[in-house]
Amino acid sequence: MRNILILLAIFIIASCKTDLDLQPVSSVTTDNFFANSNDFVQGTNAIYNDLLRYPDRLYNLSETRSDNLYAVSDGGVRDWEGVNDFYNDLSTNAYMSEAWVTNYNGIFRANLVLENLADRGNLVTDTILRTRLQAEAKFLRAFFYFDLVRLFGKVPLIDKTVLAAEAATIGRSPVSDIYDLIISDLKYAADHLPSTNGTTSSADTYATADRGRPTKYAAKGILALVYMTRSAPTYSMEGPGLGLNEWQQAADLLNEIINSGNYAFLTSFTDIFSYSNEYNKEVVYNIDYTSGASPSVGASYPGILVPDTYFSAISKNTQGGLTIRPVSTDLLNSFEAGDIRKTFTIQTGYTNTNGQVETRSFLKKYVDITKVPTVTQDWSINFIVLRYTDVLLLKAECVLHGASGSQGADVDAIVNQVRVRAGLTGDKANVTLAELMEERRKEFAAEGTRWHDLVRSGLIISIISAWITSEDVQNKIQTFTPDYIIYPVPKSQLDIAPGLYTQNNGYN
Amino acid sequence: MKCKQPWTRASMIALIFLPLWTFAQTKMSDVKGIVHSEDNHPVIGATIVIRNTQSNFTTGAKTDTAGLFYASVPAGGPYHFTITSIGFEPKNYSGYQLRPGTTFTLDVSLKAAVGSLDQVVVVGYGTQRKSSLTGAVASLNTENLQQRPVTRVDQALIGQMAGISVKQTTGTPGKAFSVQVRGAASISAGNEPLYVIDGFPLSTAAPGSAGSFGSGNPLDNINPDDIESIQVLKDAASSAIYGSRGGNGVVLITTKRGKTGKAEISFNANAGYSKAVKKLDVLSGKEWIDRATEMINQQWVKSGANRTAAQSNDERRTLLGLPASGIDINYMTDDRWTQPNYGGLKFIDWQDEAFRQAALQNYQLSARGGTGTLNYFLSGNYTKTDGLVKKTDYTLYSVRANFEVKANDRLKLGLNINPSYSITNDPGVEGKDNILHQLVSATPVQLFDAENVNVFTYDRYPWAVSNNSPVAKLLYFIGATRRFRTLTSLYGDYEIIKDLHFKTTVNLDNTDNTSKTYQPNGVTVSSYSTRLASPNAGTYGALSQYRRQTFVNENTFNYNHNFGQAHDVSLLAGFSYNSDYLYANLERSSGGFNYSNITTLNGAVAITGNSTETQNKLLSFFGRTQYAYKGKYLLSASLRRDGSSRFGNNTKWALFPAASVGWNITDEPFLRNVKPLNNLKLRVSYGETGNYNIGDYASIALLTAANASLNNTSVAGQTQGSIVNPDLTWEKSQTIDGGIDFGLFNNRLTGSIDYYNKITSSLLLNVPILATTGFQTYLSNAGRVKNNGWEFELNAKVINTKDFSWNLGGNLTLTKNKLVALPNGQTQIVIPSSLGDAAVHSILKVGEPIYSIYVLKRTGVLSQEDIDKGVPLYTSETAGDPKYFDANGDGVINSSDRVIAGKPSPDKIWGINSTFRYKNFDFAFLVQGQSGGTIYSLLGRAINRVGMSSLENTLGIMRDRWRSAEEPGNGITSKAVTSTTYIANTDWLYSSNYWRVRSITLGYNLGKALKAKQINAARIYITAENYFGHDRYYGGFNPEAANTDVSGSTSFPEAGDYGGLPLPKSLILGLNITF
Repeated sequence: MRNILILLAIFIIASCKTDLDLQPVSSVTTDNFFANSNDFVQGTNAIYNDLLRYPDRLYNLSETRSDNLYAVSDGGVRDWEGVNDFYNDLSTNAYMSEAWVTNYNGIFRANLVLENLADRGNLVTDTILRTRLQAEAKFLRAFFYFDLVRLFGKVPLIDKTVLAAEAATIGRSPVSDIYDLIISDLKYAADHLPSTNGTTSSADTYATADRGRPTKYAAKGILALVYMTRSAPTYSMEGPGLGLNEWQQAADLLNEIINSGNYAFLTSFTDIFSYSNEYNKEVVYNIDYTSGASPSVGASYPGILVPDTYFSAISKNTQGGLTIRPVSTDLLNSFEAGDIRKTFTIQTGYTNTNGQVETRSFLKKYVDITKVPTVTQDWSINFIVLRYTDVLLLKAECVLHGASGSQGADVDAIVNQVRVRAGLTGDKANVTLAELMEERRKEFAAEGTRWHDLVRSGLIISIISAWITSEDVQNKIQTFTPDYIIYPVPKSQLDIAPGLYTQNNGYN
Repeated sequence: MKCKQPWTRASMIALIFLPLWTFAQTKMSDVKGIVHSEDNHPVIGATIVIRNTQSNFTTGAKTDTAGLFYASVPAGGPYHFTITSIGFEPKNYSGYQLRPGTTFTLDVSLKAAVGSLDQVVVVGYGTQRKSSLTGAVASLNTENLQQRPVTRVDQALIGQMAGISVKQTTGTPGKAFSVQVRGAASISAGNEPLYVIDGFPLSTAAPGSAGSFGSGNPLDNINPDDIESIQVLKDAASSAIYGSRGGNGVVLITTKRGKTGKAEISFNANAGYSKAVKKLDVLSGKEWIDRATEMINQQWVKSGANRTAAQSNDERRTLLGLPASGIDINYMTDDRWTQPNYGGLKFIDWQDEAFRQAALQNYQLSARGGTGTLNYFLSGNYTKTDGLVKKTDYTLYSVRANFEVKANDRLKLGLNINPSYSITNDPGVEGKDNILHQLVSATPVQLFDAENVNVFTYDRYPWAVSNNSPVAKLLYFIGATRRFRTLTSLYGDYEIIKDLHFKTTVNLDNTDNTSKTYQPNGVTVSSYSTRLASPNAGTYGALSQYRRQTFVNENTFNYNHNFGQAHDVSLLAGFSYNSDYLYANLERSSGGFNYSNITTLNGAVAITGNSTETQNKLLSFFGRTQYAYKGKYLLSASLRRDGSSRFGNNTKWALFPAASVGWNITDEPFLRNVKPLNNLKLRVSYGETGNYNIGDYASIALLTAANASLNNTSVAGQTQGSIVNPDLTWEKSQTIDGGIDFGLFNNRLTGSIDYYNKITSSLLLNVPILATTGFQTYLSNAGRVKNNGWEFELNAKVINTKDFSWNLGGNLTLTKNKLVALPNGQTQIVIPSSLGDAAVHSILKVGEPIYSIYVLKRTGVLSQEDIDKGVPLYTSETAGDPKYFDANGDGVINSSDRVIAGKPSPDKIWGINSTFRYKNFDFAFLVQGQSGGTIYSLLGRAINRVGMSSLENTLGIMRDRWRSAEEPGNGITSKAVTSTTYIANTDWLYSSNYWRVRSITLGYNLGKALKAKQINAARIYITAENYFGHDRYYGGFNPEAANTDVSGSTSFPEAGDYGGLPLPKSLILGLNITF
């Protein structure tokens, strides 16, 4: 008996000592990742995942902050109120940390791919693919940094993966240093990404299945916008504008896009945004979405500016827009009679299910009520980041700032082309910068560009101040100062490493 | 107060001839028996001296852990027996002739010496006399358990022991509560103690961030009637034998065993009803109309020039450009509001509609007995408890069989098996946006009866919130959890040489849990037209299941010996293997159902689902030495080495040492003559314990799926999901404990006082890191929390006569909790809120209690003079809006003005219990309370906040709101229509102080009155549970409620109240009969 017990004891000890090295049953570990081409492609795909909420961010931080929306308190407490009303305690606002955290997560994923390509890129035996993945990662890294610079000004420069201790030694770099990395990355992408999509892939052509990855021209377009943004006035602050004069570099890149012949100006404004006309000739770069997948890779942005009660009123699933973010009277009034962009972009009032009339308007540019997803926030429509009309209007802007080109052919003609498509007269002459920006406002309303356009144009202080005076009948918007051109660094980041980052002026 | 048997007569039982024992030597005679206390607990280690008064032959025996003893003596006589045991009055029997080859059986009932401290208590891997204890161990008096309508063991712990805080976090019957021993030390890794049932350590309870135990609680389905005793190991010296799981204390539960003797059949039944202890004061229909009218008129006046409150609805319609029948509920009132009888509108008290008088019943039949070779306890139990709100209930069927076989003198085998099945029906009452929350905020004025408000074919009242009737949700939602659990322990105990025992146990706890959810379209879709258009579109169904299997094998060597009457030595060595496996799967409907009336997923349009499995293993070696010199000087030391699969390769193993000393001063000569002092013991202990409650694979870098979309197709993406920490190690607590146990006046006054200081370091904390790493947190060992406090327990036998006795007991716990350090020199972490920035309200700040409340301080209502004087304002406030304290003095009110305004844990917890007996009557009560803590109420915020719409209902304090400078109201409540929004402030900070009479019982012993031979004892009683009490939580029902994830972050699991049910108060009639 005694012997049996001792044997039992030995058996138990021997059998379980190694058992403590348990591998997860339902998860994959990182130990063996980046071992083949497919791993590298999947690692790169994961970077794109951080783009999925980019349009939402534009809606929350550019569209909502601008004079396009008058989204003051509706009695609930919404994260967008402080953005719209210029609160000075935005550092704890959820939108700030979302912007900061998501962009840096994307940068981490890009750095992870770039480092592994450098270390063991030879595992990707297809050298064309290897170069392309590197160019994609750099494009995306630049894209995230450009978003950060436009929102926060100076940010920490991270071009490799860092652990917590090292991150705690990296402060905010001057904006110009960030731009150096952005420009270098985008130049690499412009030089190495394929130009188009086709049925067979090659160094210069993506396979059709890769539609949605950036092309050479997408990189050139974003780079042009980077040059233009750097050329904006500084407003005496460390924001996205450096007061440089790089309008010509931008115009050259835009001309390359125009001259490539890959893109065209659609004759119908509404066709650009049609659910059945994705990847049309206007699209220079878009973020792709698919509905019905699990986990979701659908879009949330079409619904977040739409009040839930609207979807209820048309017997559809609500989309998390909560309450209304009304379109400003100023934007409504800016449209001339007969402008087809107004009716397409803006829903003017509706009657909700209990017969109550909502008289205020909201933006619905990407909302096709026959395509409302049954699963909340799972829309299929792609978000166009850069479209051909934008390329043309940006070029016109460069010309007005002194880049080569003529007022008639490269400014007035472009503006008139846009106006005619909108159902208006094409008789504008000697278009000024202010008029150009006003045209952009109507053309790109609900595309998230308004705030950034105002900053770039140098008109932001006068326009926003005047708008508040005229629009804010409820007296809820705080006084606007140039400090509010950029946003505060999230408070959570300041708390983690006290003294490492200093807060932007004007915020507590 | 267990059924009392007529033990007052001598309980000698006649000679019994047992065929089994007839092989004994012809010249010898066997003596065997059982020694137990009057309340039927076995008396362990009692000494039996057997003397032949003629031949002067003397021998002795001691009782074992079941109270049994055995001796073989030469036949003849007359024999004299003396039975003694510390803490009991000795007993003598004399004059017995023993015939050769027979067995003489004794059943000895010992009467407790008055005020004994010498009961035997269960400690880790063994038992100990209370007089030899050197650690802080609290014992629960289980006598009262059977007659209280407690459905769970955790409920029975409330208010009974110093240092043990039980939060009754839910009012739904059958659901687990939160238990804390000596305060919360961990920020992320959980604070629930380890539960050990009959030596089987169960899988540690891990509450989710909403405070509920989604993957089970160790006390689920355990029938309180089967419990013999509960001991709580509080200090590290006693709990360190459980090493990495001892950091939050250990609760040892012992179930009833069989005892030698004829079968004792016991039947307990009780039944009664319960109802809510309180109702929330919300506006009545009339008051709601008054407020809505005021708000609508003010909104109308503000909405444009030339608009006045005096304008009629028709005038407003014209100005708004509405058609003749058009309404705008923001600017127009309902004409019926001013009509007689309100034009047929229904006024609804939603709480009255949902709450009910709920029935309770509990039946238990048990048998215990034994032959000496086979002892058994068998029980069957049926409990059904209806909830306070309609359609909620809990039903438990459980069976227990505890067998112990004495195979021979050296080998004992035992089997405990406890299958149980429970059904919990809860359609989703508690928590954010769930039924109770909607119930208290539902509009009290409606077109239809409560259950027909905006459901199925009934339309909505335009001036009411758009929610479906919460009462209809109660009726039509399905939320059924069916749990089948089997606890099995098999053990063998072998005495290798005298006093050296080897014990091995094999234990399996298997739980199969299935939860079914079904929510039909008619009560989920808030729009009538959508319900009509697509009758099944909003229908939702889900089936979630889990199986948890905990397997434990423990093997111990135990040596207890007394050397030369002076040196008591007890040695323990052991090893154990512990594996915990969790299988989970979830299936749910996607896109609604195809059919009405089918509640299972085959009716769904589509199904999505997944399954996961996780596992962890723990391997341990442990040892303990206990030494006592003449019972005066006590020493104990233990060491445990644990290895867990949860930790990094560098740190898989850890050591947990502990030591303690005790001194029974009253045994010293110099105190022998101090008459009133019967007992005085000093105890000092130090020990280290751990906490390993992190996820199963937290030290391994996992990939995370991060899919993207290309060419309108989902494409797979994978990337690193977290930063790993190969040095991730155990959370460690170092506890110093000093205690005094005393007994005075013939032990009629006994008590103990403990002071402890517990420093928990290397906290398993999701440390916030800079987002530039790509991540926001990583799991690391950082930071320190200190808990210290005093614990007092006092018991007095105030009166102790044959006919009348009165016992009075009390306990008091004083605790302090302080965050000593955070990682990387951080001084604070503001806890995020799942409800947005305006709801952020708690903080981890060095020097303050963990999860301190961090909000603006509300100071009153703004007057026009205040504004003219330039007092700081929050955004665009005007007269009548709330006034806040400008903490940083910058002249503006914003989130930077938050101050620490409270703390969640109380600093005083107390309980008083008392028992009276007069002849056949008995009477007992338990009062319990706490003070010093606060509750930040999310429910209070939801139903009473600045800037509410007129649709929702609100708290009654809005009656006395600011209406104008002339009608300023109560000076606290701001106006209904505001020009600002809300921000987290002290409006929703309530004191969590309460006192409550947990139970009052009056019983009558029918024993003599019945005069039926078969019935040994019978007692009837009536119990009132939770009948009286008071709290100051005006923004919710239960100051301890926890049902909603506050932070939205698993790094900072913090559960708050967003609509927790009130406690039930019950009235129960019961009967105990023993045959």
